[in-house]
Amino acid sequence: MKADKLYLRLLAGAALTCLVSGVAYAEGGPAAEKPQTVKSPDVTSQRLDNADKEMAEGNWITHHGDLQGHRFSPLDQINKDTVKNLHVAWTMALGGIEGGGIWTHGGLEGTPLAENGYLYVTDGWGSVYKIDARGGKGTLIWKMDPKTDHDWAGAVACCGVDNRGAALYKDLVISHTLDGRLIATDKETGQVKWQRQVANPDKGEVVTGAPLIVKNMAITGVAGGEYGIRGWIAATDLDTQKEVWRTYTIPSKGEPGIETWKGNVNAEVAGGGATWVTGTFEPSTNTIYWGVGNPGPDWDNAFRPGDNLYTDSTLALDADTGKIKWHFQQTPNDPYDFDSVSENVIVDVDGKKLVLHANRNGIGYAMNRADGKFEWAVPFVKQLTWTKGINPQTGKPVEYDPKKDVQGYNIAPHRGQPFADFCPGNMGGKNWPPTAYNPDLKLWYIPVIESCNRVTIAPEKAIPAKSREFFTGGGPSQPVRITGSLTAIDATTGKVAGKYETRFPDLGGVLATKDLVFSSEPNGEVYALDAKTLQKLWSFNTGGGVNAPPITFEVDGKQYVAILVGMGGAWDKWFIDATPELKTMQPGSMLYVFGL
Amino acid sequence: MRISVLTSAAAAAALAMVALAALVSATPTRAEESEAALGRAIYAKANCVGCHKWHGGGGGGYGGAALSLRKTQLDRDQIIMTVTCGRPGAGMPSFLRGVYDDDAKEHPCYGFSQKDLTGDNHVVEAGVFLRPNEIAAVADYVLAHIKGRGDPTLEECLAFFGDKSRVCDIYEPKQSHKMPTPTTVN
Repeated sequence: MKADKLYLRLLAGAALTCLVSGVAYAEGGPAAEKPQTVKSPDVTSQRLDNADKEMAEGNWITHHGDLQGHRFSPLDQINKDTVKNLHVAWTMALGGIEGGGIWTHGGLEGTPLAENGYLYVTDGWGSVYKIDARGGKGTLIWKMDPKTDHDWAGAVACCGVDNRGAALYKDLVISHTLDGRLIATDKETGQVKWQRQVANPDKGEVVTGAPLIVKNMAITGVAGGEYGIRGWIAATDLDTQKEVWRTYTIPSKGEPGIETWKGNVNAEVAGGGATWVTGTFEPSTNTIYWGVGNPGPDWDNAFRPGDNLYTDSTLALDADTGKIKWHFQQTPNDPYDFDSVSENVIVDVDGKKLVLHANRNGIGYAMNRADGKFEWAVPFVKQLTWTKGINPQTGKPVEYDPKKDVQGYNIAPHRGQPFADFCPGNMGGKNWPPTAYNPDLKLWYIPVIESCNRVTIAPEKAIPAKSREFFTGGGPSQPVRITGSLTAIDATTGKVAGKYETRFPDLGGVLATKDLVFSSEPNGEVYALDAKTLQKLWSFNTGGGVNAPPITFEVDGKQYVAILVGMGGAWDKWFIDATPELKTMQPGSMLYVFGL
Repeated sequence: MRISVLTSAAAAAALAMVALAALVSATPTRAEESEAALGRAIYAKANCVGCHKWHGGGGGGYGGAALSLRKTQLDRDQIIMTVTCGRPGAGMPSFLRGVYDDDAKEHPCYGFSQKDLTGDNHVVEAGVFLRPNEIAAVADYVLAHIKGRGDPTLEECLAFFGDKSRVCDIYEPKQSHKMPTPTTVN
């Protein structure tokens, strides 16, 4: 009953009409008779700062579990000895499967949240579901449907009808919609308190990431790097609903960094640099770490000579002003679509304060948190051909020449040779699915797409005359099969510590516990590995394509693992030829909860 | 004189017919509307929009560059052939079930059967198959509503999506919109 203890501790002294267990439960399921709900305490910034400690009490109150991005839970009822008994405890069918724009169906990519026995999950169109997980079954308490404009948003969503989860703040559930809104919903009643248009699909902007709550602000990242947008990260004051700051990832004229966009390429209109994966936050230094995506056009890098800051970079931002404290660019003048959007995981190793970042370019980076100084890099994919390696002093690819306006690296398509095969392919060695970090073992687990693919350049002459049009400078194709792995990196040495190879790419992400690692394959399998040896100890096939991360939580003194199942995203439209067996996977929308 | 009257009458009749024809072409008949709706529905169901976009303009993208149906030179038979067979080595899928079966009596697509579709001749199979009459209907839709058109217009956009979405806003910049009203079930 750890969650109950926490609840009592947090509410001690508060005047509340609360109540309580001993409720007679009906059978679970969305239409079941509702159990009496228990009001949850406000999620304060103090609680969020200590989200890692709440995980020990059974909660998961922020997107990555904690603000550091560890996705590590100390709950240990499910461990390497007991995991063999893990089985489906209950499931719930969700919605959001309908299509819109260029998409035939939605999918599930969200990370569930868990607080005091309640789960909060989202579907691809941004509906939020509050589910009572007490009593060993799931009962839908409410569903908030934001009535997302499907065609407006779906026509400019490059890579699926996606929503990666909600956030909790005070007595609100904060969520995004694909059509660019930030919505605050009353946690108890499900009624919408307010909504704000934060991104503009008329410009090709959509929002797929979960909000990150920092103090009293919701931090929003934007997607649209294939549609000629100018990327940004925005902070909204959740008490006043006003924008606090908006930091553009492409400098405007006169700002530092604009010199890295040579020629008249209208970078401040269509330079790309989307920010579509939720970042991390370090309260002690008041710093937000957030990744920036590819430059536009994606592949025709001769269109945009120069390094193209701050695309393909890790940014450290002052949380109060959004001012950029430092940046580190992994792939200057990118010809591959190697976004640096992945989360930057805050770790302390051997007295060093680092962020770890698994880039789409197949390389894991460690950077110093204070100044962005490069520490080490390690390839986490089996095949890496685009560069011969990383310069150990600079952290740049060895072929990078700052005097050259257009980089070719080891191999890249270019206007003289318009197609090239390179590894990892353009979906990356790792895409948005999150890594996990075990702070006891100092092991960092990366969900890997073991891939190569072909990109053919179609030179761009100018930015699109109208917004909402693809601005990619070419496109990929899939001449070779793609597989996957879960790869462990030793954060003390920066070396690969192990690799569990999979038939299909890891499109879901990772959860770490003390002695286990959970992840999935898009053929429906959810599995658990030994955290040290990466030996498979358990698996279950859900029967639906998995491309969402697992979490763990505790309620009624019992630990569970939860994961959303419903193939969506970019894979089954753009990359399916590289995994032909997945053509049989049908769209779906389910929540699975496993228990001992 | 008589001749003149007759000539005038004939001229008037001809003019009336021209005017009528213009009126007919400007105002689609119910049959034409129904045909367009059918073609549009198939165009959407088969996810032609996924690469060629709703307006048929195509362009670059994650699936590779799709050709412009607005600028296409293909005639009806060639469009039917392309939809039926796909394009070997390109992203265009084949939409007729079993058209490359090895044991079929005929091989109507370039003389190829499944065994020929390796390497650079690979043909993607569509996610949704169409019947031959549906392929003909979508070809007629492309010919009547997409091929030869210039830049997409507000009217075309509204014909495709209706007026319940903001998807056509970029063709009508001054329109102001409210955010959708969320609903809650509990």
